[in-house]
Amino acid sequence: MWYEKEGNNMDVVLSTKIVLNRNIKGFPFPPKMSDADRENVLGMARQAAGTMGLNFVRTDELEDNAKEDLYNQFYAGYAFLNSNAKTGYLMSKTEGLGVIINNTDHISIVSMVPGTDVVTAYKRADDLAVQFEKSMDIAYTDKFGFLTSQIKSVGTGMQLMMTLALPGIEKTEGAVQVLAKRVEKYDWQMIPMTHSDGIRENGIYVLTNVATLGITEQEIIDKTRKVQEDIIKLENSCRKNICTKKKGVVEDQYYRAYATLSYCRRIETAEALTLINWLRLGQNYIDTSDADLDWNKINKLTQKVRRNYTDSAVKGVRPKDRASARAAFIRDIMKGGQAS
Amino acid sequence: MAMRCSRCGAQIGNSYVRFNGVLLCEDCARELKIDEVFRRQNSIFDQAFPMLDEFPGVFSAGSDLDFANAKIRCPRCGTTLRDIESGGQLGCIECYNTFNESIMKNILKRQGSSEYMGRKPGEAADVKGEAKQDTPVQETAQVKPEVKEEPKAPEANNDDILTKMKDADLSTFTDQEIEDAMKKAAAAEDYSLAVKLRDELKSRKEGN
Repeated sequence: MWYEKEGNNMDVVLSTKIVLNRNIKGFPFPPKMSDADRENVLGMARQAAGTMGLNFVRTDELEDNAKEDLYNQFYAGYAFLNSNAKTGYLMSKTEGLGVIINNTDHISIVSMVPGTDVVTAYKRADDLAVQFEKSMDIAYTDKFGFLTSQIKSVGTGMQLMMTLALPGIEKTEGAVQVLAKRVEKYDWQMIPMTHSDGIRENGIYVLTNVATLGITEQEIIDKTRKVQEDIIKLENSCRKNICTKKKGVVEDQYYRAYATLSYCRRIETAEALTLINWLRLGQNYIDTSDADLDWNKINKLTQKVRRNYTDSAVKGVRPKDRASARAAFIRDIMKGGQAS
Repeated sequence: MAMRCSRCGAQIGNSYVRFNGVLLCEDCARELKIDEVFRRQNSIFDQAFPMLDEFPGVFSAGSDLDFANAKIRCPRCGTTLRDIESGGQLGCIECYNTFNESIMKNILKRQGSSEYMGRKPGEAADVKGEAKQDTPVQETAQVKPEVKEEPKAPEANNDDILTKMKDADLSTFTDQEIEDAMKKAAAAEDYSLAVKLRDELKSRKEGN
């Protein structure tokens, strides 16, 4: 999985995601499209996929385990994968890169990288966007730029999202507000992450860009790097401060969390994320020699607990069975297994 | 973005009234005696079996207050001005002409600028910085890519990075990148560049 690869500053920035939205002239936007229009766009996407080295699949023909793969790796949402609205997906041979067809826009190129490497994420997405623009008549005006179905992304058509793990900032009084104000200066928004079952994901935030007009792609990337740098510095100083001043408490909570995650038989998402937060908080700043734990395990645990297809499937799996399955893969990861 | 009361400026939660296009919080609506929606809502919930004639009153009060913008439609896709004002969702490209004024207002309010400065279609953006080599997707039993592998681009070597650093505006690089380049410059015995990068890092630290 792309998020298990090595990335920069993954102790704070779990992933960086870029979505480039494009629409084809001559068709309404997907929410207003007829079935015939949807089929036409799928046909055009299939044709483009062939020339661009992408693999085309219709979502209504996907097997459940394929949907699970796409969902668990953050390529597409549960509702998109399970709708019968004539949607499609183009798979790239590059990990973390794919194209969603007929969701909110005709073409949504999704590029994700572990950590902070925004340039790689952007260049991968932009390469594909340029190929689409050369092979199709894309909706564009000099005044508005790339026309999208939502006003918030018209212009560059670019949405940039960073998923952050900020237990230090969250546990420091007033630090979340300080950071939220700071990111506003860069025209960014910070939103607490909510899990698919409606609970708040403790310590996990998503940062998104607001401006898509009056700014170039290079400026968005530059601002992203500055925002990343600020957040990483603040989070690390908060973690260090807490671990220095409350060393005993953090050590105790770290090892309790380690033991619970290693041996639990049933566990809910909220509890698991709270425990992982303690591991993340103490990992670099306390003596962890008694625990067999590294950042790869912590990040893998975080992403697997956050994104689990069976959590989103409303029917079919009983809550206690989900809790048991969750505990099983957590134990497996803690032991160093793959928990695929 | 949180909604605010047009009268008192307070942040609005779930309870609000839109009156002639003006958004009011519950307190202001009560003060202005246009809180019928709230009063009726309470009276309904307070009774075990609300009288059926209460309901039309509540709904007609709502439709009198707003929804005038629901009549202005895009001639091509039928999207209304209300759809755009409430969710920012457009139906087709023609909506950009039909609701131009409202869209511009929304953009200016949200972004502070309405001038497009991005790249043109078909022209790759000239984004500075190195991209990592692509990692091919691992084939799984479920989702197998059917395309052939393309040759991978060669990785940039130390000399390329150092040449870039020499010419580039250092403010566009992160601390980590500069630190890495400084080590590489020292290893390559390019001491003038190493000193330049060290000074940049030092000035950043002092600046903070």
